Amino acid sequence: MIAYVLKTLWRHRTRTLLTVTGAAVAMFVFCFVGSVQEGLHRLTNGADADRSLIVFQENRFCPTSSRLPEDYSRKIKEVPGVRDVMPIQVWTNNCRASLDIVVFNGADPEQIQRSRPIKLTSGDWSQFKSQRDAAIVGRNVAQRRGLKTGDQFSIGEISVKVAGVFESTVPSEENLIYTSLAFLQYTRGLDAAGLVTQHEVMLTDDAEPDRVAAEIDEMLRSGSVATKTRRKGAFQASTLSDLVDLIGFAHWLGYACVGLVLSLVATTTVMSVQDRIKEYAVLQTIGVRPARAMRLVLAESTLLCLVGGVAGTMLALAALGIGGFAIGAEGATIAFRPSLGLAVSGTIVSLIVGVAAGLAPAIQAATVPIVNSLRQA
Amino acid sequence: MALVELRGVSKSFSKGDETITPLDNVDMDIESGEFVSLMGPSGTGKSTLLNLVSGIDRVDSGTITVAGTEVTKLSRSRLADWRAANLGYIFQTHNLIPVLTAYENVELPTLLLKLSSAQRRQRVELALEAVGLSDRADHYPRQLSGGQEQRVGIARAIVAHPKVVVADEPTGSLDTETSEQVQVLLQRLNKELDITMLIVTHDTDVAQIASRQLVLDRGKFLEKGDEGSMSSQPQPTPHLFQQ
Ligand SMILES: Nc1ncnc2c1ncn2[C@@H]1O[C@H](COP(=O)(O)OP(=O)(O)OP(=O)(O)O)[C@@H](O)[C@H]1O
Ligand SMILES: [Mg+2]
Repeated sequence: MIAYVLKTLWRHRTRTLLTVTGAAVAMFVFCFVGSVQEGLHRLTNGADADRSLIVFQENRFCPTSSRLPEDYSRKIKEVPGVRDVMPIQVWTNNCRASLDIVVFNGADPEQIQRSRPIKLTSGDWSQFKSQRDAAIVGRNVAQRRGLKTGDQFSIGEISVKVAGVFESTVPSEENLIYTSLAFLQYTRGLDAAGLVTQHEVMLTDDAEPDRVAAEIDEMLRSGSVATKTRRKGAFQASTLSDLVDLIGFAHWLGYACVGLVLSLVATTTVMSVQDRIKEYAVLQTIGVRPARAMRLVLAESTLLCLVGGVAGTMLALAALGIGGFAIGAEGATIAFRPSLGLAVSGTIVSLIVGVAAGLAPAIQAATVPIVNSLRQA
Repeated sequence: MALVELRGVSKSFSKGDETITPLDNVDMDIESGEFVSLMGPSGTGKSTLLNLVSGIDRVDSGTITVAGTEVTKLSRSRLADWRAANLGYIFQTHNLIPVLTAYENVELPTLLLKLSSAQRRQRVELALEAVGLSDRADHYPRQLSGGQEQRVGIARAIVAHPKVVVADEPTGSLDTETSEQVQVLLQRLNKELDITMLIVTHDTDVAQIASRQLVLDRGKFLEKGDEGSMSSQPQPTPHLFQQ
């Protein structure tokens, strides 16, 4: 009987195509919004966000305005619970919210390799460690900017040689470009000899992040520059606080997309059933059970929704994978990555919406007054 | 026990304040293998009677038993199952599914039965052969003539080997020649396949081919020839269409 459903859809192919396209577009947007939400969630949750601290200058926000002595790292290391400290110089092309933010992190290459969860997909570490102006580029930036190993990349005052491209288990890190600390400190205009933007603190397994953070700030209060230490996740969330509000609002857009698909598919299915209400009377006269008539309608709506929804989801995932999109501000970025979770939720949402959209017309088809419908010419 | 038994069947409809009672305490028996035609003035309840026998409409009171099953007691779902296995319905207008080919239309009722695909194919091919349309199996309804469409509708009604086939003015929308073809076909199906038939018609020629002719008037049956009231009708010319 599935042939009957398919042929019915094919008979009104224009209507079918329009509905499928509409569902695809809406589910495309749904997945895009979903990936932004996921990106934000990853940024503020997970081991990297919770088990490391960022020491920043008190009351400063943009990375260019935070200037801490590099040798603070020595002092911080003495605080109990601290396993390792990595002084980082940050440079960004844009301190405001932007979709094409480029963020450089300058740190000791040995330490980067040792402490960051990154893996080179091309190039090699030795070149990165030996050349002063060498940089390794996160996969997302490389995709977005079309960079590959061996390229020369210039932006603003900075010009680096791409020594490798890396991927990371922390997606937002894939928006970074790592250089050596000294290279970035001596960049013209930055004037940061002996100074860094922030210290990233790796904690021991049993350390309590918030207590260690308070101790660091307390200890450095006597130093030349006061600091504010937070968990990395909280630090990034507060840096991106304007965006976080916006993204929080965007999830309504996701719900709106689901509503759109629902009403679109429901309208098409209702029209389809009403056009053929006599056909359902005939089918039941032949001996098709009401429940089966109902299933036929549900199959129709679910098929429409699933084909459109899965197509939209796949397109969105492909776009996210190829585009390497990220949004960022003040040196922190949110990566939009395709994920299995998005594929699954896109498919499940399509399935549920398909069934829901078919429910009313399915009941109509199942309970059709047979005799009255047959009497209609 | 007769194959089809109506006992004290009543059915009325209300239109606003007015209530019409086309069937009032009607009894009827149809024996297995019979070919019964049902005539009568318009609006007397012939179609209503067919619909009640088919279980697509509900009686107000009384019982209808077909092949031992009291259909007036069944739920809507059970009725559907029962129709799939026991009843063929031939519509006045063929009511074929436009998106399905002749073959697929005829195949529909067999999909509701537990049959192997080979059995199914065999039945569909036999049914199409019986109505002389084997060569049109792949045609869509819009590619068939009115008479051919009606014959596909007949094939669909007999493909599940039902015990009873009901037909509501099966020739009502056909020209004389095509109507004759269909009459011959119905008669053959009754004789050769031993299908019990109940057909409603306004056409005396069609009524002729029946083994028993009934007339429904003011809620009661008159056996043809029994009553003076029949004399106004043209006398039957026997054996007009013979195999
Ligand atoms: N669903 C309905 N609602 C109201 N009245 C109905 C309904 N169905 C049938 N009737 C009425 O019941 C009566 C019998 O209708 P029915 O269709 O059975 O007549 P019929 O004998 O088949 O007539 P015809 O020869 O014109 O087809 C008619 O007066 C009709 O108006
Ligand atoms: Mg009628």
